[in-house]
Amino acid sequence: MSTRRRSNRRFTKLGIANRGEVAVRIIRAAQELGMETVLLHSSVDEKTAAFRLADHTVCIGEAPSANSYLNIEANIHGAMSAGCEAIHPGFGFLSENADFAQKVEEAGMIFVGPTPENIRLFGDKISAKAHVEKSGGPVIPGYRGEDQSIERLIKECEQIGFPVICKAAAGGGGRGLKVIRNKADATELILSAQREAQSSFGSGVVFLEKYLENAKHIEVQIFGDTSGRVTSLLERECSVQRRHQKIIEEALSPSLDEELRAKISFTARDLAERAAYVGAGTVEFLLQDGQFYFMEVNTRLQVEHPVTELVLGVDLVKAQLMTAMGQPLAWPKQFQPRGHAIECRLYAEDSYKGGMPSTGKLLAAEWPQGPGRRFEVGFDPGDDITANYDPMIAKVIVWDETRIRAIQKMKRVLSETIIFGVRTNIPLLQEILGHEEFLSGTMTTRFFETHFNKGLAGQEYSKSELAMIQTLNAQAGNAAATGESAAAPSPWSHAWSRT
Amino acid sequence: MTYVEVEWSGKTVRVPALKHQGKLWFHWQGETHVVEVLASRRAGGGSGKSNPGVIAAPMPGKVTQLRVAAGDEVKKGQALVIMEAMKMEYTLEADRDGKITELNAKLGAQVALGDVLVRVGEA
Repeated sequence: MSTRRRSNRRFTKLGIANRGEVAVRIIRAAQELGMETVLLHSSVDEKTAAFRLADHTVCIGEAPSANSYLNIEANIHGAMSAGCEAIHPGFGFLSENADFAQKVEEAGMIFVGPTPENIRLFGDKISAKAHVEKSGGPVIPGYRGEDQSIERLIKECEQIGFPVICKAAAGGGGRGLKVIRNKADATELILSAQREAQSSFGSGVVFLEKYLENAKHIEVQIFGDTSGRVTSLLERECSVQRRHQKIIEEALSPSLDEELRAKISFTARDLAERAAYVGAGTVEFLLQDGQFYFMEVNTRLQVEHPVTELVLGVDLVKAQLMTAMGQPLAWPKQFQPRGHAIECRLYAEDSYKGGMPSTGKLLAAEWPQGPGRRFEVGFDPGDDITANYDPMIAKVIVWDETRIRAIQKMKRVLSETIIFGVRTNIPLLQEILGHEEFLSGTMTTRFFETHFNKGLAGQEYSKSELAMIQTLNAQAGNAAATGESAAAPSPWSHAWSRT
Repeated sequence: MTYVEVEWSGKTVRVPALKHQGKLWFHWQGETHVVEVLASRRAGGGSGKSNPGVIAAPMPGKVTQLRVAAGDEVKKGQALVIMEAMKMEYTLEADRDGKITELNAKLGAQVALGDVLVRVGEA
C-alpha cells in the first residue's frame, strides 16, 4: 500500500512550491507546527506577502510560470539547495502533477499530497471515470463506442434521454460541441459535430453524454489519513461560476437533505478509499433533479477549503502536514457541521468593464476584522498586481449561524473592504449576493451567465457627490511622495466645474 | 489608510481617499471608487507642455458644452469647452488671450485623448 512509505517521517523544513495567498496559508500553518519554511518563488514575486513571511526564500526562475512555478527541476533543485525535507505544492501549478510528486520523493523529500498513483488515476479523465464506474459510483450516462454510424448514435441518444451533448472525442473547448434537444434535430447536429470534429481535431469521432443544463456544482472534501481510512468532511456548493471559474463557494450546500448528503458523502469516501487515497482531495459532482453524477477528483488542497474548515472546526493544511509526516489526526469518525460559511474570491478586475483584468500597484488595503470574518491575502500595500499569474488577489470568508446571516455578514464585510490601486470584483460579488436566486439557494452553474453576463452599469454620481469628490480631490494625500503634501491646497482643485 | 473629512448630510464623515498617478481612489457608501483627475488644468493631451493656443482633450470623453464659436475673442482663463469623462466634468480654458481660429469640438461628440478641440490664435 502507498501508505506504508509514509509512516513516521517527521520533517522540520518545508518548501512551498507556490505563491500568493495559498503560500501565506501554508507558511503560517507550517510555522505554527514549528517548521522552517522555504518559499520557492519566481523572480517577480519578491514583493509579496509570502516572500516576507517565509523563513527562507529561493528564486527558482523567471516570471513566466513555465520557467518557474511549473518547472519541476527548478523547484526540486531549489528545495534541495535550501535543505528542504518536504514540499507542499499548494493548488494550481504542479499540485496535480504526478511526475512532480514522484520526482520529489525520488529526490528523498516528502511530497505533501496524495501518492503519484492517486494523482495519475484521477488526473486522467478516462481512468477516473472507469474507477468510479467500477466502484459503483454514478457517472453521467453517455456513449463512447466505436460505432459512429448515425443510426447507432441516434439510438444511443434516445437511450440516454434528451437533451444530449455531442462532443469531439479528440478535442476540448467548444468546437465540435452540440446540444441535441430532440430526435428531429439529432441527425443534422450529429453530422455537423462530426464535420467540426474532423476539421478541428483530425478525427470525426464523437462522444454522447447526457446534458445537464440546470445542474448544481456539489463537491465533497475527502481526506485519507495514515491508517488508510478516508474521512468525508462533507460538501461544499460552488454553483456560482463564470466560464468554469468558481466565484462564490459555501459549506454546506443549501440543496441537500440529510439523505442525499449521506449518499453523496459515502460515494466520495468510498471511491477514494478504494483507490487507497492519501491526503486532501475533492470529489466533484453535478447535481440535477435529485440525482448526482461524478465529474472529477481534484487531488490537492482546494481554493475554497476554508469554508469547510469553518463549519467543521478543522485545519486542512495542518492535517496535510501531519499526514505527510505519518502522524495520526485527532478527528471524529463523523463530523457534525455547525453554522454556515461562505467564501468570495476577490479578483483584480473591473466589474464595470465586463471583468477586464486590472493590474497595478496595491496602494492601500483594509480588511475589516470582526467575529466570523477571515481573510486570505497574498499581497501587502506597495506590492504589484501583475498580469503574470492568476488574478485572484485574496479570499474573503465568513461564518455565521445560518446561511442568510452568513450572506448578510459577507455583504457587510465586502462593503467595508477597501482596496486602492487595482479594481476588484467586489461590486459584482455584491450584486450576486443580493440576487434572489442566490438568496433562495436554487442557483445552478448557469446562474452567472444567465444574470450577469452583461456586467454592471457604471457608477453615477449626484451633484452633491461630485462636490464631495472635489473636496476629496483637493485634500487627499498622494500615494507617490512627489512633493505634494496632503495638507497643501492643490493647485488644480478648481479644475472640476461646480455644477 | 489616509482619510479626508467631508461634510455630508449635516455630519462630518471620514472618507478613505488617496491619489496616485492621475487617479483619485476613495471609499464611499460601501464601495471603492476611482475617478481620473488631472495633474494640470492646462489642457494639452496630458503632456503638460502644450503648444500655446492648442487646446486638446486631456482624456477620452464627451463634449457636453460649447462656450465659444469660431471667430470669438477670448481672454486667458475663459471657459471654451466643457467635457465629461469618468462621470466628471472638466472645463477646458483658454491658455492665452486671442481669437478662436479653429473649433473642432462638436456638441455631444466623443473625443480621444489628445484630440485638438480648439485653437486660440494670438491676439
